[in-house]
Amino acid sequence: MNKYTVINPHSEFKVINTHVHNVDGVAKVTGRATYTFDVKLPNMLYGKILRSPHPHAKILKIDYSRALELPGVVGVVTGKEDTLGIKQGIWRRYKDLCDEQILPVDKVRYIGEPVAAVAAITEEIAEKALDYIDVDYEVLPAVFEPMDAIKKDAPEIHEGFERNINITRHIEWGDVEAAFEEADYIREDWFKCGGQAHMCMETRVAVSSYTDGKLTIYHSNQSPYYLQALMAGVLDMREGDVRVISTYTGGGFGGKFELDGAIFCSAVLSRKLHKPVKIVYTREEDFIASKRRTPMLYYVRTGVKKDGTFCAREAKVFTNGGAYTGMGATAIYLTGFFHSFPYRWKGYRYDGYRVYTNTLPSTSMRGFGAPQAMFTSEQQIEWIAADLGLDPIEMRRKNSHYEGYEVPGQATIASCGIDQCYDEIQKWIKDKGKLPANRAIGISACGFMTGGIFNWFDTPYSFSSAVVTINYDGTVELRVGCQELGQGSNTTMAIIAAETLGVKIEDIKVYSGDTDQCPADLGAWGSRQTLMTGNAVKMACEDAKKQLLEFAYAEMGINIVYDLDIKDRWAHIVARPERGMKYEDLVKKALRAKDGQRIMGRGYYTPHRKGMISPAYSYMLQGVEVEIDEETGKIKLIDSLTAHDCGQPINHLGLIGQLEGAFSMAAGYGYLEYMPFEDGKLMNPNLVDYKMIRATEMPPTAVAEIDTYEPEGPYGAKEAGEGLTNPTAAAIGNAIFHRFGIQMKENPIKPEMILKALKEKKEKEQEKKKGKK
Amino acid sequence: MINDFNYLRPGTLKEAFAMYAEHDDCKVICGGQSLLIVMRQGMISPEYLLDIKSIKELDYIKFDKKEGLRIGATTIHRAIEKSDVIKKNYPVLTAMENKLASVQVRNWGTIGGNLAHADPAGDPAPVLITLKANIKVGGAAGERTMPLEDFSVDYFETALNKGELVLEVQVPVSEPKTGAAYQKFNLLESDMGIVAAAASVTLNGNGKCKDARIVLGNAGSTPRRVKRAEELLIGKTLKESLFAEAGKIASEDCEPVADIHASEEHRRHILGVLTKRMLQKAFEQAKA
Repeated sequence: MNKYTVINPHSEFKVINTHVHNVDGVAKVTGRATYTFDVKLPNMLYGKILRSPHPHAKILKIDYSRALELPGVVGVVTGKEDTLGIKQGIWRRYKDLCDEQILPVDKVRYIGEPVAAVAAITEEIAEKALDYIDVDYEVLPAVFEPMDAIKKDAPEIHEGFERNINITRHIEWGDVEAAFEEADYIREDWFKCGGQAHMCMETRVAVSSYTDGKLTIYHSNQSPYYLQALMAGVLDMREGDVRVISTYTGGGFGGKFELDGAIFCSAVLSRKLHKPVKIVYTREEDFIASKRRTPMLYYVRTGVKKDGTFCAREAKVFTNGGAYTGMGATAIYLTGFFHSFPYRWKGYRYDGYRVYTNTLPSTSMRGFGAPQAMFTSEQQIEWIAADLGLDPIEMRRKNSHYEGYEVPGQATIASCGIDQCYDEIQKWIKDKGKLPANRAIGISACGFMTGGIFNWFDTPYSFSSAVVTINYDGTVELRVGCQELGQGSNTTMAIIAAETLGVKIEDIKVYSGDTDQCPADLGAWGSRQTLMTGNAVKMACEDAKKQLLEFAYAEMGINIVYDLDIKDRWAHIVARPERGMKYEDLVKKALRAKDGQRIMGRGYYTPHRKGMISPAYSYMLQGVEVEIDEETGKIKLIDSLTAHDCGQPINHLGLIGQLEGAFSMAAGYGYLEYMPFEDGKLMNPNLVDYKMIRATEMPPTAVAEIDTYEPEGPYGAKEAGEGLTNPTAAAIGNAIFHRFGIQMKENPIKPEMILKALKEKKEKEQEKKKGKK
Repeated sequence: MINDFNYLRPGTLKEAFAMYAEHDDCKVICGGQSLLIVMRQGMISPEYLLDIKSIKELDYIKFDKKEGLRIGATTIHRAIEKSDVIKKNYPVLTAMENKLASVQVRNWGTIGGNLAHADPAGDPAPVLITLKANIKVGGAAGERTMPLEDFSVDYFETALNKGELVLEVQVPVSEPKTGAAYQKFNLLESDMGIVAAAASVTLNGNGKCKDARIVLGNAGSTPRRVKRAEELLIGKTLKESLFAEAGKIASEDCEPVADIHASEEHRRHILGVLTKRMLQKAFEQAKA
């Protein structure tokens, strides 16, 4: 296991931050966990999706009569005949951002877009049938890059969006011009940030079963409630008549809370054919027809004083939005906000332009716009420090957020451990001493959100809810709508419940991933569940515990001025812990006194008075030691340390796993996971050509955890696991900068780019020499 | 999705020859690590698969001080990697196998399957060619042996005649004062090589270069020797500048194809660097 150190441990708990293993770990490692991929219903059909070979084309005619003649084929659906043609999108509150028909009626906008779906008695027959569906297209001119798409004469991808500009976002505080005036030094750079595939182990998959006016869907996703609501919307059903079951999800990473082709097409087929229909995406389909991290062109202008005090920053971003909006509407905002982090700017201005192109749509992905923001910001800051001859850590430190700081008009920082993060990384670098000549260290700071506040989904429900029920034998059933997708949320909620109720972890059974059985919750995205659902769970458990303690007062006959509590299944007087009764006995008595009703507690959470962005922010600084081969440009990660403030860790084993996973994804974004397109076609939709770091090549990823206390979080907890996707690409870039003095303005950083930059640097130096002569 | 096929499973080599001769549109499968990928991508859909995995006659590693090394075609990569006799006598083979894909792949994939697949990016062929290996092939009509460097004839095409299987790889005993080294260039250590270079150097008693071989991987349609660079070295007193010159020749005498992973120019450059480095490494070993 990687080294894990805690700086300032400040709390004593019975369950929180103890050695708790994943509550569903055994089911998973023994293969007994039922993922959607495993679901098989009686009389189930298999569906396959016909996809567009064109990046931009009108659908003139779809003739599937030959497919229906194929033995074993049961039915075909198309946008025109079988859907309501409703345009949908996850930004439900804004109709113009609901721009996607999963089965389009008249036009396709990217290669891989669904055109028709077929159901057959076997998957093989369904796939074969795709060859027998004849589609007449009128191919339209297409455009693939944002800077081409905003040109006046560019093809129009969506009607009414001038210059293909899908969304603009503006963030500003302070007098930006005046703040630039104060600066002694101004630097500007352009950057190009790549896309990235979510690459979940479980590809998009759904099994839909429509019967008697009700629809049940097994689906691999991050938010069963969102999927329930979105499916009800596109099928014109009541939300309550749609049940989404997602007991186990094989990874999400931000790519699985919108409608996808698997859920939509299987449901439409099932409704038409009155049989269950299963659709499993192949790996290639998952690459070409899900969504991806948003590629961005970043312009950054920064003004600082000679002593390194930050004055002003201005950023402009053009994103390759691809064919549809998805969660890109959030990413374009968050990248602009987190580009300011974790620093104080007197004047800050951001303008983001999300541009439609005829490529795979881009959307949210772990880090949610911030990996791009940090790749650009943290490298430019390093260059500024070098330009001014300042220590890059001390320059960062003096400009950083602190507890109580207000990001003007945006957020108040209630907890912040970044200052100690600088100390830890400084120590780490110092302890390393002199490095071999081919190695260098790069650092990068960042901060991240703990759940979003802005209600673009327009939910009428509280953001998180929990129901806890205590049985006669003291076992506890916890029902939550937060989604377990491998990140360990069920374990986190079980820990919070056990801690709050004063019972053991094995007393808690967590039910999640079923919209019929669990309360509505916005689900697993934006690092929201530990804080938001955690608060709801804590509240529900406090409610239940209060009911138990009321009986304890009566039963024990004690003076009402005493405080009672339960710890380790022992209900007792806080001041005199030896006086008490067994939790199990208390439950039995309390239940009898309630006329046989089980003890039930309810809790909920919706952020209030926390601005429009997030209730809390995490902070971190990462150092990465990198080896670079000067002759080949090959990058190798040698070592790393992340100093990390996530408030009070709830489950440190889970935390370590999350940070390791985030590092691997962030490293991939830094130097491996490129997604080249040619004429709108993804050139590496497979795991031979799409490069992801492997376990054997991961460097040590030690963590120094700075324990702070976040007042808004349950027991002081805040974000962990997503934020760490943000710093690594810049840290790698900064290591290359320190090794060779070259500036990497595009990611992923490929060997060829390094050699090219080295060559240019040499040529410049030679020119300089010539000039001197 | 993999198309349906008829599955043939001979128990002996004799049965295999007979079945293979009898069925048209038949592909040989053993570990399946190359074939299943192209079948899954729908690039080929053979009517018959002949599974030779259970033919124990072809699963062996034998070493003789005079005859050298013989590896049966169905021997898995992992067995070669873990073989003590190979590690002792041909350390370059062990090192090559150690970086050939993942352990899971090495536990299934076989040496015969790898060579018969004839992917120019394959790791074993360049190394084996620098070691002057031969390959034994055969079918119902009989057996024949040829230098491995003649075996690959084009992208994914070999000198195998209809009805012939790969039977054995033969590696002669290395001459004294010989060193050999192999390195592929990739982004991830265990990945396929974007390009690769293998080199061997044999020194005379007087320290001059008696023999040298340079073989490039994924630098054209087949593993290719850089004879012009080999000739440059033979008979000379070896030194760094000669290796650099050999590297330059290697970067010229190749036909790498650009793709999303690297441009042609970059590939040529890397081939030059790797050639230089592998010669240096082989030379150090030969001297030791």
